[in-house]
Formats: sequence, structure tokens, C-alpha cells
Amino acid sequence: MALRRVVYNVTRNPELASGGSLVHAPVVPVQGEAREVHEDVSGEHMLINIGPQHPATHGVLRLVLELDGETVVRCIPHIGYLHSSFEKLGEYRDWNQVVPLTDRMDYLAPLIYNCAYAMAVEKMMGITVTERCKVVRVMCMELDRIFSHLLWLGTTGIDLGAFTVFLYTFQQREKIYDLHENLTGARITTSSTRIGGMMADLPAGWVDQLDQFLTGFLPVLDEVDTLLTNNAIWIGRTQDVGTISAEDAINFGLSGPNLRASGVSYDVRRDRPYYDYETYDFDVPVGEHGDIYDRYLCRMEEMRQSVRILRQAIQRLPGGPINVDDPRVILPPKTAAMNDMESMIHHFKVVMEGVRAPVGESWFSVESSKGELGMYVVSDGGSKPVRWRVRGPSFINIAALPHMIEGALLSDVIAVNASLDIVLGEIDR
Amino acid sequence: MGLNSPSGSMDPQEGQPRNAEGLAVHQGLPGAVQPATLQQNNIFDGQPGFMTTRLDAVVNWARINSLWPMPFGTACCAIEMMATAATRYDLARFGMERMSFSPRQADLLICAGRVSYKMAPVLKRIWEQMPSPKWAISMGACASTGGVFDVYSMVQGIDTIIPVDVYVPGCPPRPESLMYGILLIQEKIRNSAATSDDEWNAVDQLPETGSYLPREVLDRVTLPFGNSTNQNRSSGLVSTGAVVRVSDRRP
Amino acid sequence: MSDFKKGLEGLDQGPRPSESEAPGAPPQAGDLPPHPSVDALREEFGEAVLRHELVAGDEHIVYVPAERSLEILTWLRDAQRYDFLQDLTAVDYGGGRSLQVVYQLWGTATRLNLRVKVELPLDALEMDTVYFLWRAADWLEREVYDMFGVVFRGHPDLRRILMPYNYAEGHPLRKDFPLRGRFSRAEQTRRALSMKTEDHYSPQELEMAQALGQTMPDPFNSDQTEQNQFGGMGGAG
Repeated sequence: MALRRVVYNVTRNPELASGGSLVHAPVVPVQGEAREVHEDVSGEHMLINIGPQHPATHGVLRLVLELDGETVVRCIPHIGYLHSSFEKLGEYRDWNQVVPLTDRMDYLAPLIYNCAYAMAVEKMMGITVTERCKVVRVMCMELDRIFSHLLWLGTTGIDLGAFTVFLYTFQQREKIYDLHENLTGARITTSSTRIGGMMADLPAGWVDQLDQFLTGFLPVLDEVDTLLTNNAIWIGRTQDVGTISAEDAINFGLSGPNLRASGVSYDVRRDRPYYDYETYDFDVPVGEHGDIYDRYLCRMEEMRQSVRILRQAIQRLPGGPINVDDPRVILPPKTAAMNDMESMIHHFKVVMEGVRAPVGESWFSVESSKGELGMYVVSDGGSKPVRWRVRGPSFINIAALPHMIEGALLSDVIAVNASLDIVLGEIDR
Repeated sequence: MGLNSPSGSMDPQEGQPRNAEGLAVHQGLPGAVQPATLQQNNIFDGQPGFMTTRLDAVVNWARINSLWPMPFGTACCAIEMMATAATRYDLARFGMERMSFSPRQADLLICAGRVSYKMAPVLKRIWEQMPSPKWAISMGACASTGGVFDVYSMVQGIDTIIPVDVYVPGCPPRPESLMYGILLIQEKIRNSAATSDDEWNAVDQLPETGSYLPREVLDRVTLPFGNSTNQNRSSGLVSTGAVVRVSDRRP
Repeated sequence: MSDFKKGLEGLDQGPRPSESEAPGAPPQAGDLPPHPSVDALREEFGEAVLRHELVAGDEHIVYVPAERSLEILTWLRDAQRYDFLQDLTAVDYGGGRSLQVVYQLWGTATRLNLRVKVELPLDALEMDTVYFLWRAADWLEREVYDMFGVVFRGHPDLRRILMPYNYAEGHPLRKDFPLRGRFSRAEQTRRALSMKTEDHYSPQELEMAQALGQTMPDPFNSDQTEQNQFGGMGGAG
């Protein structure tokens, strides 16, 4: 059998391919790597295109796989099928008008994005929100963490064949939709924060509704636990699949449960706490093996810890105003704006011209359900950002997908993809 | 239109029974299309009669109650579509629980979410892979007109790429809205002539754009709507000038 | 209510920063301890550290020249243990000013943040890649290239990531790029619907296909696809 020598470039850094600890790589271009292919079985490897329209890619992600039978030899992801240029749009919007854009990026946890953006801009402007606003925003973020993990659980279940889990989790999500709707008026696209506070205070009875939801949620989570955690099929499909070591995970920039499942205890709420997170009593689950099963366990436990944080937040919710008392940022109360000429002019100016920010910038990150969500805002003294950059955790997490699945089976590709918990709105922005 | 036209004209309503004023009178179901050049020697020839309308009704009833949707979900609207299919707003009661992810086995394309120009050929390909009869719902503001995203990378309404039957506005539309859109599709199907096949082959793509609309029409229907995207970077009170026209664009 | 009357006069200046009595408020600039890495950086590289700024209360920024950026970032990763590249992006201020490439670094062991900025003149948008320092830079640099046009020397696979591979209108996040693009909608539609095979696949994939003897028809355009030849769209249909 004659061998044909084929040379093509590989994209992997040879030093990382060994799977061990990192070696300081010299700055050289990657050499072409020779592969030998048997001539009469030149069709042995096959190129397969998954997506961009595919039920299991969790959005419009396209993967081109080189398969040797069922084994993945190489994977090249293509993104950009949902690129909506949020960052360019943000340059044409006032500081408060950017908030509705943030909902549409991670549509699975919109309140986290709303809060993260407002927090970044407030840090840049040097505004500290009121105590009540802090606790309300913590409640919003933890609620949406549960919201996002529930969708992840449902869709991962469906991808791996567990349809019942999808129905259970969506039933619970409907209750959170009700909470969203009572708080902001919309189910998904909440747009609830403003610079200096929130769109409106909590409606009457919302805290009781949240409490009721939390009481009803934990038994359902336990039920899903019984369905999946010790299930032989689930374990067989998720243990030792899609493993990534701790050093590789840090080097690839993974964050969130993907990083913590590999054993790295990095949680923005612990390492750079904001909104008094250091005073809340909660644990951060950290895995060991870095496989899908550990990511699953991390996220399940995170949901329970979020319930814990929410109960503490409900206990400590203070009274007082929800918005900061700064007339340059916050609109005057409606009664004043209707009755008083200066307040009406003030209202008009803030709405039409927008809030002016001082010259400056800020890179601020929160722990979103997907990972470390960073917002970089740059101002030149005007009412619109010069640059609004979103460090979407899924964008960086999905770049590690080829590293995790090369050598795995085709069916594992779907499982690993699901376990990364990506949302394409955040990847493509 | 149908007024005493001389014989041998291109009048599509030639051969129709006419009333006193000479206007063509449709018989049968309202909205029934009379194909102009149907050359078949069977009971479907010419005007719809009792047999064809009863057959239409049966076929349409079957189609309506077992529409298999192809969820072309891209963004936030896809989540609302999933919620519509889930337990609270159940789509299974419309016969639509079998979401077909293969276009070959789907009747109804629900385009849920924003479509970028990179995704446009994919959408077109999926639409072409669906066998007729097929219908399309454009769910959400982004699929209908481009929505919030009047930017360089977004298709300003998927009707510039594929023919759309029902538009469901909203950002995202509530599950009830999507269900209303589905009911409208059902209404449309109920009133269509199932046994004539010309309407499915009627529209052809244009070579100049690859879509179904000529260039001038495409540029006109995708003109910016409203002021917000025409804001420049200075204060909102500064006049931004007229609506941006195609001719204003810098080369 | 009188606050709002006073506030009206101050509208043009923007909000006043809150008095930092409240716990959890960001500390004011000036009463912050100096950043240990910045001091070490100054010791090691001297005048290569062009500027050091403090913004938003506690965020340290260091400006370095483009020629020495790789050396400095390598040193920061190894000696100062910034093993986590949080973000890599660029800022175009417009008006012909230099583009700033921004590196946001975090050390998981030291728990320190640092922002490193490199200023590039608009006619020389080139610098060295940090692909081999942090693999996270792979896609981040591709995005900066796609959106701003900055070429990263040494990156093994620098091509567009968010826009289609044959995108001809320019680099979108630059300030001289109009929001709705440079071509008319009809032209953009026409180009989108007439993309060829090479526009959908990366050079590696085309080479692979050639090596494997597989032809790669355009999977997205109807008039050029043969149904059974390729894997099909997701294996469906």
C-alpha cells in the first residue's frame, strides 16, 4: 500500500498538546505537520458539517468535524451567524438606552446582563447605589442564575435524551417568567436597571412570590437529581468525557462552572466581591475531574447555593429608596415633573440629552451563570459611550471546544457542547 | 380588470361567470385562486365546484391540524418558542408537538430570531429544502423587519430572503402572540385551494439579488424606520438631518 | 424638589461621585496603595512603561510601546503570574487618533488585576500575537482583527470570525465605518446569497478536503450543491 505524504498546517500549539503542564512556548510560527494517509483509503476520514441550523448546537453554531469513523480527529467551530453588532449599536445609544440591548445578548439571564452593565457604568461614574438597590440587584442576579441553569439543565437533558427533565425545568422557568413579568413587565427582555438604580421598585407581594417559588423549586430540583445524578446512562455519557485540565482551562480563559469543574476555585463573587457578597453565607462548588459530570454537579449545586443567597437577601432587604439621590442621573418623581416647571425641564433634558458621564473608563466583571461577564465602558464626557465592550464568557468558553473533543466520539461532541452552557447571543454579539 | 375585455386577452379572470357590470364573480371559497393557465382535463378544471371545495376542505383540515413546524430559532424568540411548546402554552394541542428539525419533513418554517447576512443563505437553503406546501411565520420584530438591529450585519426582515405568510410582532412575542400567528396560518390554509398547485411555483428568485425582490424594492423596504438608528454620536438634541437614503451613503 | 432645581444647573457636568463613607464604595484615587506589578514593571523595563493611570477608583492601566509589548506581556505572565487573560480588545476613539489595544489581566494566585494598553497609529495597525502566552487570545485576536483591522504577527490562523470570510465592507467597529454598512441593502443581500465555497470554509478545511480527496460543494447555495456528496446540513434531511 503506497503512502501519500500530506502536509497541512495544524492550529494547535504543540506544547499544549501534550496535555500536561504548560511549557513556556517560544515565539515561532507553528510548523506544518506531516500526516501520512493511505492512498487507497483516502476517503477514510470524513468531513462533516454540523449546523448552523441544528437542534443540538444551542443556537447558530457551526462545527466542521474531521471524523475517523466516529472519532473526532479535528474540530473547527465557525461563529458569527448571529452577529448583531451590539457594540457598535451601543455607540449610538445613550447610557440608559443601552440597557435594552443588554437583554438581547444573553437572553437566558437578562437581569444579570442588565445589572452588570449598570454596575460597570456606575463604577466609571463613581456612583454608589442605595442599599436597597444592592440587595434587589443581588436578588435579580441570583434569580437569573437559577433561570439560566434551569434552561441549561433542560436542554442538556434533551440533548442527551432525557426529555422529562426539559418539561420539569421549563415548568419552573415559567414561574420565574412570572416573577420577571411582575417586576419589569416583560418575560425575557427585562431591561430593568438604570444608571443609578432600577427602573422601578419591587411591586407589592413580589418578595412573597419569590419566597413561594423558592419553596416549590427545591423539591423539583431534588426530583431532577434523582432522575439524573445516579443514572447509569447519564454517568456513562458524562463521566470522563470532555475533560480539560486546570492549567489548560486557565490558559484558555474558561470561567464559571467550566473552570470550577476542573478544580480552579475562581468565582468573581469570591475573588472580587461586589454588592456585599462577602457578607452572604454561600459556598462555591469546585469539581475535580473537569469532565461533563463535574460541570453538571457544579451547576446543580450552584442552583442550591443561589436559593440560599436569595433567602438571605430576602431577610436582609432594607427599606429606603431604590434609586440614588442624584438629580443628574435619576429622573425627578412624576408628581414633581408634572407640577413643577424646573422639574419638567430637568426631566426633558435627562431624557432627550441623556446622562452625561465624566471622561473615564471601567472594566468590571460579575459572575454570570455562564462565567465571568466583563463589561468595558469608555466615555469621553458625552452622553453616549465611545466604546462598550462585552467580554462574553461563552465566546471564550467555546474556543476551548476543539481542545476538549479531539479524540472523543461524535456523540460526545453534542454532550460537551451542551455542557459548556453557551448562548450564541453572547458569543456573536 | 374584468370589464368586457376582448377575447384572447391576458385576463386571468377570463372564463369566469360575470355579473351585470361585467365584473368577474368568484365562486366557491373566498380567496380561492383561479389559475390562469391550468391545462388539465379533470374535475379540477376551471371554476371550483362542489367536489373540489369539499376535497379542499378535507385536505386543508388535515393540513391545519397536523402542521409540523420547523423551528428556525436563532435568538431570544427561540426561547419563547420553546416556552410555547412547553407545558404552560402547549403547542401539542394544535398538533404541532412534533417539531421537525429536518426541513424535509416540515410544513411550517417559524423563523424565530434575528437573521444575519451570514445566516441568510442558510435560511434560504432551508426554505428551499422544505417540500411544498409550505408556509413561513416570521416571529418577532427582528425577523419581520430587522427590529432593533438596523446595522450592517442584519437582514432587515426575512421577507427579503424568503416569502413570508404571517408576521408576529413583539420583542419577543408572548407565547399567546405566537399562537395567534399560528391560528392565522391555519386560517390562511383553511381558505386556500389545496388542489391547485400553481401558487407554489409562482414566485421565482431574481438573478440580480438572489432574493425575491428587485434591487430598488429591497432598498426601499429596508430604509431605516424612525429616528433612533440615525442618531449620531453627539447629543440627541442636535438635528440628525433627513432619513438616510441609499444615495446618501458614502462609497 | 429643590434638589432637582439645583441639579438642573449641574446637568452638563454629569453626576457627582458619591461620598465614599458607605462601605463597599470604590476608594478614591490617591489613597490607594500602589500596584506591586506596576512598580516591578518599572524596575524591569524602565522607560518602556510609558504611562501609568488609575481610573474608576481602583483600576490600574499601564501603557507600553507596541515593539516591546510581547516581551512585557511574557514577563507579566511568567514573573508576575498573570495567568488569566480576561479580555483583549481595542478602542477606536475616532478623529484620526491612535487605536488602543487593551489587555485585561488577572492573576489567579496573586488576585491582582492589571490593564495593559498598546497604542497603534492608524497607518501601522500591527503588533505581535500573544497566542502562545494565553490560548484565550486565539479568538480574541481574531475578533480584534475582524472588527478593527489590527494584524497580529505570528497568529497561526488570523481570519475573520464574526463577519463572513469574504466581507468586503471593511472593519466594522472603526469609527469611520457607518452603522448600516457601506453597501446598499440590496448589494449586501446579493453578496450574502452568492457566497462561494471558499467563503464558508477556512483554509485549513479546504486543504484538508483536498488532502482527503473530498470535494466541498457550497452547502448553502441551492444551485451548486449536489445532495449526497457532502455530510449535509447537520445530517438532517
